[in-house]
Amino acid sequence: MTVRHWFLLPARMVQMLLFVLPLGIVVALSLLTRGDYGGAEQPWTTEAYRRLFDPLYALILWRSLWMAALATGLCLLLGFPLALYISRAGKHRGLLLQLVILPFWTSFLIRTYAWLFLLRDTGLINTALLKVGVIHQPLPLLYNDGAVLLGLVYGYLPFMVLPVYAALERIDPSLAEAAADLGAKPFTITLRVIAPLAGSGILAGCLLVFIPSLGAYLTPDLMGGGRTVMIGNLVQNQFTTARDWPFGSTVSLALIGITGLLLFLFLRRAPVDAL
Amino acid sequence: MNRRMFLLGAPLAACAVDRRPHLNVFNWSSYIARDTVPNFEREFGVRVRYSVYESNEEMLAKVMTGNSGWDVVFPTHNRIEPMWRNGLLAPLDHAKLTNLRNLAEEFRRPLWDPELARSVPYMWNATGIVYNRRIEPPPSQWADLWSARWEGRLTMLDDAEDLLGACLAKLGLPFDSVNPADLERAKREAVAQKSSVRAYLNAEVRDQLVSGDVLAAQLWSTTAQQAISAAKDLAFVYPAEGFPLYADNAVILRESARAALAHEFLNYLLRPEVAAAIAREAETATANGAARLLLPAAVRASETLYPGAAIRARGTWPRALPGAAIRLRDRIWTEIKSA
Amino acid sequence: MKRVLGWYAALLYAFLHLPLLILIAFSFNSSRFSVWEGFSLNWYRAMWTNTQMAEAAWNSVIIAASSSLLATAIGTAAAYGMWKRKAPLLQVSLYLTLVTPEIVTGIALLALFQWIFRWMPFRLGLGTVILAHVAFSIAYVAIVLTARLRTMDPALEEAALDLGASEWTAFRRVTLPLLAPAMGAAALLALVVSFDDYVITSMVAGVDSETLPMVIYAMARRGVNPVLNAVSSVMVVFFGSLILLSEKVRAR
Repeated sequence: MTVRHWFLLPARMVQMLLFVLPLGIVVALSLLTRGDYGGAEQPWTTEAYRRLFDPLYALILWRSLWMAALATGLCLLLGFPLALYISRAGKHRGLLLQLVILPFWTSFLIRTYAWLFLLRDTGLINTALLKVGVIHQPLPLLYNDGAVLLGLVYGYLPFMVLPVYAALERIDPSLAEAAADLGAKPFTITLRVIAPLAGSGILAGCLLVFIPSLGAYLTPDLMGGGRTVMIGNLVQNQFTTARDWPFGSTVSLALIGITGLLLFLFLRRAPVDAL
Repeated sequence: MNRRMFLLGAPLAACAVDRRPHLNVFNWSSYIARDTVPNFEREFGVRVRYSVYESNEEMLAKVMTGNSGWDVVFPTHNRIEPMWRNGLLAPLDHAKLTNLRNLAEEFRRPLWDPELARSVPYMWNATGIVYNRRIEPPPSQWADLWSARWEGRLTMLDDAEDLLGACLAKLGLPFDSVNPADLERAKREAVAQKSSVRAYLNAEVRDQLVSGDVLAAQLWSTTAQQAISAAKDLAFVYPAEGFPLYADNAVILRESARAALAHEFLNYLLRPEVAAAIAREAETATANGAARLLLPAAVRASETLYPGAAIRARGTWPRALPGAAIRLRDRIWTEIKSA
Repeated sequence: MKRVLGWYAALLYAFLHLPLLILIAFSFNSSRFSVWEGFSLNWYRAMWTNTQMAEAAWNSVIIAASSSLLATAIGTAAAYGMWKRKAPLLQVSLYLTLVTPEIVTGIALLALFQWIFRWMPFRLGLGTVILAHVAFSIAYVAIVLTARLRTMDPALEEAALDLGASEWTAFRRVTLPLLAPAMGAAALLALVVSFDDYVITSMVAGVDSETLPMVIYAMARRGVNPVLNAVSSVMVVFFGSLILLSEKVRAR
């Protein structure tokens, strides 16, 4: 065996034992039946899959897809101008990028808690608004879809800004100049010339936001008050309190399936060489 | 190389420090006094790892696997029989539980474990409605919680049994019904109520009640008492249609390799002064008769914690449900939460 | 246009950073409500004396250190191996690890461990958490190292080989020293990712392996608690400085 084989061996073993094998077990679980008091046991059956097509779960899936899409759209809308600004900032670019990434180094849990602190009925925002007299009753800023959306956008915005910035950086500035020479206004240039050229970066950013948003668990749990059930919550719930491992496995596989499909479609359009 | 050795050695050294016997106790949150565990540790020369949960399901999810690592847990009474049937509980040795005689009369031969062969009653409570006195008219029955006037300032328990139970009681059906048609109707009620429910929360809602964020909540009587002590404008009512009574019991898990020490802990909890200290500080209703005598008169007279006979007559102790019924209820619970 | 963009950027930066800054600011508030009542270190004192939190923090440190060391070693080796010649299956597998939602990774590993425990006398604990963290950290390390290897000239190793060195010696004496800074950065990344993880850890942790994020989550679910502000501040400042420091070192 060459040196190279030895080098690849540990990683291959880890992937086999801690990624492929667990997924195999999940597939097996999805074909079993829930025991009376939880767990999974024989007989083998596809009942869990049939249950997946129940309109209720289609609704959850649809809602999750919609939330993820909204979060992605918002991140794009908010993140693109920022990436544009940074790409034109000259020597401050490094620092500005660092400032975007910095929150990412903070635990997602802490960042979510920061919003809980701000948004609850006796939180900072409501207290301030009440004091100033703008409102007379605290606004229900938490425990709804809007709060979850805010949490998702706040958490994943850096994932949009970075790839878009990377793509914008690579665009030849002379193209924008040429358009300006031809009489186009700055806004039009941005929309019709620059944005399309940054296409691959935008696509990457969208993917990097959409996929984690789809499988989000913490944000809907803490900021949605357990009322907004997304796929991530459903999976967690089935594996803990509901103790229905077969059904939970089925939902997980559906989630992986969708995520894998999106990734596959993306990689065909814009091959990424991160690894 | 040296740096790596040091990094590996330090944590190993730290692990070797504590050589006392261990006991792992998993209990409901806010169900013990500050000194209970430290005093036990000191007296018996042991180290207790004490962790908390918010619902039976949370505890069962860990314990059902049979190798969770916990020694003592506190299931609600109607979970004990299923746990026993699944071989999760260790039989109790009464020779080691000399303080059993301290239990109140009604808990010496409880419905769910007449011989006390596998459980020791710890605390009991009931589910009712806690509300802010500002509300006019004050709620007095479950049906009052189905009203648009709450506008999202209402929470219900994050517990399938309690939520479905409230819906069933509102419909005049038995609290622990296993009839699928009944449960379907209860589900529809729950879904209809959802728009005025802020969230499904257990003991976590206490702070929000105290601060006034939440105006009414379906809550257990002990948590309600804790909230009322913290905020004078709260009150508790036992709904007119009927309500469930619950007893939380200490059990020893069969997987535990420290049964002897676990018995000591259970016996320790049965001491009148220990149980009284817990009941006083945690503001819970104790199943220990001798301890109850040690409580201040004001606490003993609390209608919330120790309701009178007339109110008690409206309450029922939910039975353990057969496996198939549990599955059906779990499924309906998922559907309610997802709707 | 540039002016507008500038204002917009400032607003967005405020959006990104203000919540955390406010959180930190209020950790010094003497009252537990959102009204400023005076400067106080109460909550820090409370945090410091909280034994559960101290134990959880120590667990987090052990887990992060161990998993980061292991992941860096394995991930660097993998990146190097893939640089010498493509390994498509491993590549795809690592990609998939990155895009699998955390909750799914968590339950899959839980299912794996519970299945193994049917035959082996183990239970969930520090070991399972460390294994889980290694599993998801390797991909991060591999990405960082692959990016670095791309800028590495293969001629350097070839020269060593021409001079008679074995493959292993060439790696150890030529490539490894050059990779050291990137390995440091990857190790730091793995450390932070491991320390901060909640979802996967909560599924595979046992009785004696509660981590700091797990304690934080349990407290956050119960409502706002200024001790959480204190803990968050410490974590933000600690890791923030660590990152900035490492960037300074790398830029040199």
